[in-house]
Amino acid sequence: MLGRPNRAHPNALALRAGASRLRRLVLGLAGVAAFIALWKLAYIFNWAPRGTIPDPFTVPVALLNEYRGGRLLPAIASSLVHYVWGLGIGTLLGFVVGLLAASLRVFDEAHYMLARILRPIPPLAWVVFAIAWFQVSHAGAAFVISIGVFWVNYFATASGVRDVDPRYYELARAFGHGGFFKRITSITLPGAAPSILSGMRTGVGQAWMTLIAAELLGVPGMGQEMNSAAGVGAYDAVVVYMLAISLIYTLSDGLFALVENRALRWRP
Amino acid sequence: MSERRDALLTLDDVGYRYPGNERFVFEGLDFSIGAGEFVALVGGSGVGKSTVLRCVAGLIEPATGHIETPPRTGKGSRPSAVVFQDTRLLPWRRIRANVGYGLSGLGLSRGERDARIDEVLDLIGMADLGKRWPHEISGGQAQRVGLARALAVRPQILLMDEPFSAVDALTRTRLQDELLAIWQRLNMAVLFVTHDIAEAAYLAERVCVMRGTPARVVFDERVPSPYPRQRDDADLNAFAQRVADAL
Repeated sequence: MLGRPNRAHPNALALRAGASRLRRLVLGLAGVAAFIALWKLAYIFNWAPRGTIPDPFTVPVALLNEYRGGRLLPAIASSLVHYVWGLGIGTLLGFVVGLLAASLRVFDEAHYMLARILRPIPPLAWVVFAIAWFQVSHAGAAFVISIGVFWVNYFATASGVRDVDPRYYELARAFGHGGFFKRITSITLPGAAPSILSGMRTGVGQAWMTLIAAELLGVPGMGQEMNSAAGVGAYDAVVVYMLAISLIYTLSDGLFALVENRALRWRP
Repeated sequence: MSERRDALLTLDDVGYRYPGNERFVFEGLDFSIGAGEFVALVGGSGVGKSTVLRCVAGLIEPATGHIETPPRTGKGSRPSAVVFQDTRLLPWRRIRANVGYGLSGLGLSRGERDARIDEVLDLIGMADLGKRWPHEISGGQAQRVGLARALAVRPQILLMDEPFSAVDALTRTRLQDELLAIWQRLNMAVLFVTHDIAEAAYLAERVCVMRGTPARVVFDERVPSPYPRQRDDADLNAFAQRVADAL
């Protein structure tokens, strides 16, 4: 369509698009309201062991309490430290190893068996070693997070690089870009970028999943706060942290989507 | 056959077989192309005419024989440049950047590169489309950009691999006439691979036909009609018929 509006009824089309967006919004809000209603019912009628389902309507109060108590922001900040380091290191290493695996045959052959042995080990299984090597520390949490992120990026990069159309490499040779560096920068990386970036974006989510689990072991952060809140039966505070995680993930994913769209704006 | 011009490109007993394959695709190819000469190489599918072009371009090594390629001349040029059938524009580069793809490493300043890109975009009549992405232009325009990318490196020989076979008939005739006009303006040889006899006869000064297994050049003659040619010219059609017979 190349962004051209339908010349016949531009207003009618815009109106219909607006109506459809409104409908989506209303139905979406209705879905959330229905969920909260169900939750409230579960709370009233004790569908779970007494005291383990918080009153949804007290969650805003709990949020205020966590904030005033000086727990919410430090926990978020601490979690972000693990998150950024774990995500950064895992992404970088996954990208480099994936790139090497897909572009150097010797490396590929030397590492595939090792990769097959290590790959199925869940990141959280490494917690034991994280504690042994780094004690209960930021570094330990970042280590565990980076492992999950590493694999996601490793596979995305390796398969993206392998899938670059070989005809482009022929073009590169024909037009003086046959050398290793020129080939990588002019063909391999841009050609594999959609896969590499989608791997990075999956990693942004994957890091959150392991983050909380890594922190449940006692490293300061939202995971630890959830654990200690649950310990005293403050399940409404647990929900506060769950929502905080959801919000931060949505923000970081949205931010990354912007970067991704910008980098891949050449796509139809 | 008398050589009108000094040979620019010479194939000497050239043969090719795919790695690990005993059977030759073609062998004993002996022919040369003069400076500024327009030669069409015609043959059925699978006869290896695109492979000849790849050998000449230096993209693959012939199994036997020798290819004498043009020497590198002066700053900012390559001896040869390829125009692919599938255009092969890099989708992640804007049109300008695609056109300038072959210009790096030729010792040109940024200003010189920009000037070169403007010049060839102008030549193909796409001066105002340089900012577009490849997916935003038509098939015919993409083929023109592929041509411009090759022209930008000022090759002594332009190697064209069935460049117009994927566009519609109307666009094809227009692109053929544009190519002739550009060839007559620039002093460069053209090796034009095609399976379309009428196209070969209309465009080229000389037509070579490849046939057989392994394939050889079984026909190599000058086209009798002078430029500008008419597509319905009787001499041209008679010549085309002889090419068809050779096939």
